[in-house]
Amino acid sequence: MSHPPDHGVSRRSFLKGSAVVGIASTGITAATKAAAGPPVPESFGPGEHEITLLVNGKNKLVKVETRTTLLDALRDRMDLTGAKKICDRGACGGCTVLVDGSPTNSCLMLAMDAVGTELRTVEGLSNGDDAHPLLENFVKCDALQCGFCTPGMVMSSIACLEKRGKPSPDEMRQDLSGNLCRCGTYGRVMEAIGRTANGGNK
Amino acid sequence: MKPFTYIVPKSLDEAKEAAAQPNTLVKGAGLDIVDRMKERLQTPQNIVNLLPLKADLAGISVEANGDVRIGALTTLTEIENHEAMRDPVFTALVKAASTTGTPQVRNRGTIAGNILQFTRCWYVRSEAFHCLHGGRGPTCLAMTGQNRYHAVMGWSDCVRVHPSNVAPPLLALDAEYSTVIGKETRRRKFSELFPAEPRAENPEHTLQEGEIVTAIHIKKQAANVRTAYAESREKESFDWATTACSVRIAMDGNKIAAADIVLGAVAPVPMPRPKAAAMLIGKEPSKRLFLRVADMAFQGAAPLAHNAFKLPIGKAVVRDALEQATR
Repeated sequence: MSHPPDHGVSRRSFLKGSAVVGIASTGITAATKAAAGPPVPESFGPGEHEITLLVNGKNKLVKVETRTTLLDALRDRMDLTGAKKICDRGACGGCTVLVDGSPTNSCLMLAMDAVGTELRTVEGLSNGDDAHPLLENFVKCDALQCGFCTPGMVMSSIACLEKRGKPSPDEMRQDLSGNLCRCGTYGRVMEAIGRTANGGNK
Repeated sequence: MKPFTYIVPKSLDEAKEAAAQPNTLVKGAGLDIVDRMKERLQTPQNIVNLLPLKADLAGISVEANGDVRIGALTTLTEIENHEAMRDPVFTALVKAASTTGTPQVRNRGTIAGNILQFTRCWYVRSEAFHCLHGGRGPTCLAMTGQNRYHAVMGWSDCVRVHPSNVAPPLLALDAEYSTVIGKETRRRKFSELFPAEPRAENPEHTLQEGEIVTAIHIKKQAANVRTAYAESREKESFDWATTACSVRIAMDGNKIAAADIVLGAVAPVPMPRPKAAAMLIGKEPSKRLFLRVADMAFQGAAPLAHNAFKLPIGKAVVRDALEQATR
């Protein structure tokens, strides 16, 4: 597995980017001007502007609209396509990323709201061939079939492990209750978490 | 989503001012708002993001007189884990918060957002349906349509149900809420947050345009107060309640000295059931008594074509909550 390029231009970002050439790249568009009096709150948009997101330990500049969700920012603007857009309504968990360590539906979070938080996505769990033990255990335990729910499932599993150390099956069920797997591999996901908790990564 | 201007206030004063502009929505986590904006059910020109004010508007504190203040932006996960919430007075609130949605939703969803969210009626939440509550049509489509998850009491021209898990426990605790609007700060009983006679034209809550909820207050309760929350649902986790009940019980020896019963998910607003609660006063807890009280809690219920199941299940949920609180 290789890291996606940090600053590469993908087909997707090229297509998107070409449509927005000419929009101010200074970042902030002062949309609200008060007539007089007290200080005016900062305001952004509705057009594009640049924000900085801290993703997997690296600060990255990304152009978003105010209506861009964190999921769309990650997938379409930063080429981090691990988090999946499945229901896009917070009902499946496929888009789960960690925001300040907590599993979050990135489809229901505005990218703007993620400024100043620490984001972790499934891409942060491997470096070349060097993968987090949980990923290896997902493979060893055959914890995926179609694999579409897996990135979200993995992020909820990581949070479960980090929060609980050695989670009980009930705790795993509770922590993974926001991730749906249509193939029904829940039992094997739990096996993979259990093996990782017990240090079994070989 | 339609484009909008995103406003980042640096203080509550700035937030109030921004919230007073026309066509403006105030958001915390924004889970419900983003969802409805994606469906084009909400197309605000401005969104005021309250999250930068978390220092003032989030967190749980016990005040000198023992009252508890829960900031409006406190997440459901924070409620689940907070030290002050281990008091048996909060058993119901913690249960309701910790069984809402998914871990992902609870990690971001705020207590105020949970209470103020829009109904989950599938007709009003879909642009394709021209329903009365959505202001898109002449009638309530659920009344004669697919209404398995709709109201069985307290409805007139719209059979939506109030979706909040945490509202019934807060009502049972006689909680209060603070808001700001313009130069005013208001503090009112929780019961005033919901329309007294909810009709299709009423929003889910009674807040004025530009009014911002800042905190929820729970008065110090007597040492003998216990609370419980129970609900029925179709899945063990990650589901909406089909019926819910929160109770507050104060025991005097082996007799019930005070009682409150509030139903959730059965009406367009959370439903206090004072007549049923009054039957408990001065009595010893017993299965027979709870059966009669549960019947009274659903007295006058008017189920629709597909949701009569809510009556027997809802009564069992009332008994479950009463048994938990008097155990």
